[in-house]
Amino acid sequence: MKKHPFFGVVVATAILSPLMLLGIFSIGKGWPFPKIFPENWSLQNWSDAFTASSGLGQSLGLSLGIGACVAFLATISGFFSARSLAKSSRKNTWLMLAYLPYVLSPVMYAACLQVSFLFLGISGKITGVMLGHFLLAYPFAVILFTGFWNARMEAMAQLAATLGANPVSSYLKVLFPVAKGVLFVCFFQTFLLSWFEYGLTVLIGVGKVPTLTVKVYQYVTEANIHLAALAGCLLVLPPTLMLWINKRYLFTRITL
Amino acid sequence: MKKRTLTAGLAFFLCWTALPLILGVGYALLYSVGLVGLLSEGFTLVYWQRVLTHAEFWVDLGYSLSLAAGAMLLATGIALRLVLKHRHSFKQGLLSYLIYLPLAFPAVVAAFLTFQLLGPRGFFSRIALSAGLIATPEQFPAMIHDSWGTGILLTHMAMAVPFLVLLFIHTWENERLDELGQLAQTLGAARRSRTWRVEVPVLIRSSRPTLVLYFLFVVGSYEIPLLIGRESPQMVSVLAIRKLQQYDLTARPEAYIVVLIYLLLVAVLLRTLLVSPTNPKQP
Amino acid sequence: MKNFTYTLFVCFCTWLLFGCQTASKNPGSSVSDSLSWEEIEAAAKGSTVHLMMWQGDPQINAYINEFVAPQVKARYDIELKTANGQGNVIVSALLAEMEAGKSSSELDLVWINGETFFQLRQINGLYGPWTGRLPNAAYLDLDNPFIRYDFQQETDGYECPWGTVQQLLIYDSLRTPAPPRTRQELEAWVKAHPGKFTIPNEFTGMSSLKALLADFGGGRESLNGPFSEEKYIRLSTDMWAFLNQLRPYFWQKGETFPAGVAPMHQMFASGELDFTLSMNDCEVDNKIRQGVFPASARAYVPDFGSIRNAHYLGIPAASANKAAAMVVANFMISPEAQLQKRNPEVWGDGTILNMEALPADWQEKFSNQPGRKFAPEKSQLLPRAIQEPAPEYMIRLYEDFRTHVIETPVPSL
Repeated sequence: MKKHPFFGVVVATAILSPLMLLGIFSIGKGWPFPKIFPENWSLQNWSDAFTASSGLGQSLGLSLGIGACVAFLATISGFFSARSLAKSSRKNTWLMLAYLPYVLSPVMYAACLQVSFLFLGISGKITGVMLGHFLLAYPFAVILFTGFWNARMEAMAQLAATLGANPVSSYLKVLFPVAKGVLFVCFFQTFLLSWFEYGLTVLIGVGKVPTLTVKVYQYVTEANIHLAALAGCLLVLPPTLMLWINKRYLFTRITL
Repeated sequence: MKKRTLTAGLAFFLCWTALPLILGVGYALLYSVGLVGLLSEGFTLVYWQRVLTHAEFWVDLGYSLSLAAGAMLLATGIALRLVLKHRHSFKQGLLSYLIYLPLAFPAVVAAFLTFQLLGPRGFFSRIALSAGLIATPEQFPAMIHDSWGTGILLTHMAMAVPFLVLLFIHTWENERLDELGQLAQTLGAARRSRTWRVEVPVLIRSSRPTLVLYFLFVVGSYEIPLLIGRESPQMVSVLAIRKLQQYDLTARPEAYIVVLIYLLLVAVLLRTLLVSPTNPKQP
Repeated sequence: MKNFTYTLFVCFCTWLLFGCQTASKNPGSSVSDSLSWEEIEAAAKGSTVHLMMWQGDPQINAYINEFVAPQVKARYDIELKTANGQGNVIVSALLAEMEAGKSSSELDLVWINGETFFQLRQINGLYGPWTGRLPNAAYLDLDNPFIRYDFQQETDGYECPWGTVQQLLIYDSLRTPAPPRTRQELEAWVKAHPGKFTIPNEFTGMSSLKALLADFGGGRESLNGPFSEEKYIRLSTDMWAFLNQLRPYFWQKGETFPAGVAPMHQMFASGELDFTLSMNDCEVDNKIRQGVFPASARAYVPDFGSIRNAHYLGIPAASANKAAAMVVANFMISPEAQLQKRNPEVWGDGTILNMEALPADWQEKFSNQPGRKFAPEKSQLLPRAIQEPAPEYMIRLYEDFRTHVIETPVPSL
């Protein structure tokens, strides 16, 4: 297979340039037409961003907190319930059901459930947004782990049981270590699901839960491209870090 | 595993998937026929009639489906080409990391970038102007807010291609296509046949569930058409939320009807395109 | 099967339990008439007020976040938080709450006017009457019809005036040395400069349509009075015809319209558009100072007039922090807050206070406040002001703009 050295350069440029442009937009102040690049590059936007009034620091923390909680809860509950699912005779039906919230547009799902959230008194609250994200992340986790709980894993669990391990230690000493890779992938994928979510957050949160994506949209409607780009950089940062740690965390193939 | 734990796990699952769906769909149904809602006046099918007979909904639905199909077809084509010809470049070195990078971009940021780059006075327009490719900014081709939804299409493609490249590379490894292709060649297949009769079909067939899911994602996308889409036709999600928040409060049921029909469509598509009950191994 | 139903039931209960955390919040109740203002202020201490407002202008956001919020915190120990939303988003949110039978609303103060006020009253979504109880209400200029009537409706104390604006057309004096003054001149100008003019598909754009509608009606007073279906149909038919024949010369050949004013301002600044609209008559000063508009930008009102209106603050009927909301509103209409808001360097929004009712030292401060440099003074705009017509006009315009313009194919040239 011929190696085209030029190919690598072209692809690398195509991938890196949006990120670099995002960064450039975030440090500029003013982009008069027809200048190609924004003017007045300085880090002032970034230092201003974390002052109390803009609230970007708060949004960052909020998004991180919500994402981490949702990811943790979805991963753990998905791990356990997928086991029941995998053994069920109607596995395919349940999986189809699991796909529905995952592919139904999250914002439409939120529109239908808005009344329920209001009834429960969690509309406009962080817990409401977390629950909304959980309703998207949990089915995803289930689908992911159903692939994990195949015959081989069950056999391993049975083996551990026959060798005398009680359920708790069979999980702690056998199953968790084996599943470590999938657990991490699921954690990060569900984190990203929550981290990137906008439509559901703004509908359930009634605009009162200002996650980073909400902020980006707010700056865009304000036509403030510099702060929008800054918030965008913040959004892209954790996933990029994940890539650095283990690129597999960013990508997973959803299989049955 | 004890039976009780089994049913508990299943019940937990149903509680968090089926129950919200039932609650949501149930409420939407009731609202759509006028049985609930502050301004409702009792059972009526007039809203269903209005949505189903008004061209706007069908045009928007068709627009969403065709835009998503176009984006998926183009992205799949590009990804296939990249994987068939250049997959080794993505397996090691810098590119093997960089190809994951676009997955770090959410839809909101992607839409924002598209607007700033491809807009009428955007980055590329300014470059074209200074390079002398166009004389006035008006000559730059309209890609945002245009009737074809070019901006939306390109944004989705930019997000889909890296994902699909990774998908195909992983599938290639899983299905051992190197060996399979070699086998085909030893059995006498020509180069071209090896590609088009072995490699590509296996890739597509194995990736079909993911491709279908991604397609459905794109159809239901909200943030991208919200930021760079046009007022009409609109993509389904934007249409539904617009109807939910419109000024004519008595026409709110129409929003729920859009959601219900879309859900039906998604469910039917999922069922037919995803599940093949005869072959238990194949999804 | 019994086990199954049992575990399902347990799961359902955990679902409910997860959610029911706000039992501690007091359900929205009226602020008793017997309370004095001091008692209201005392009750408001330590509360949080959620204000839903349009957040499309950085200066308005800065005024609220950097002036009003710290002030109410320092003076009354009230935490002011903002959420993004206006018009139909507010109505939709409050309607959804009422449909769910929520006893306490997520919002405590809403920035509204016109058709939003009309719809909220339709669904009994607003608390009231309360504006008369504010100490600063004595300063309100309620003799001014532009302030007293909200889209021809009596406010009845259900919403408190907060500011006044008049719509202006903004242009660049270098690019457009002779801006059009009449409808005919506008038509000729648009045809001579294709792709340089448009209206946004939101509040500001619909307000400009009202001015056009009045022009078709024969004058600035023509839309006054209660809504008349016959009048609306007659005038709007002419107006849609006018717009549709002009559409091929609009921005993007009239096939789409901007969804907000902020992108329009950007397009005006970059030269993509030669005109932009604003409901803030001090916009030109603000944006020139921010470096967004060129220094040659100017604003004016065409001969056929433009909408002048007031914007208000309302309290949702189910708000749990009504006392605090009233205290915040009282501060926002205080001479101090109004003076700050009127400063062209802060926002430039018109005041709703009656100058003559103010104490002498405040009168002096108001008259000594530096005027605007680039935008016309309010006194110059008043002769061409059109009073807001009945809210049904606005609602119909929103709907019909979609059906008669957006969803109608552009006529070919």
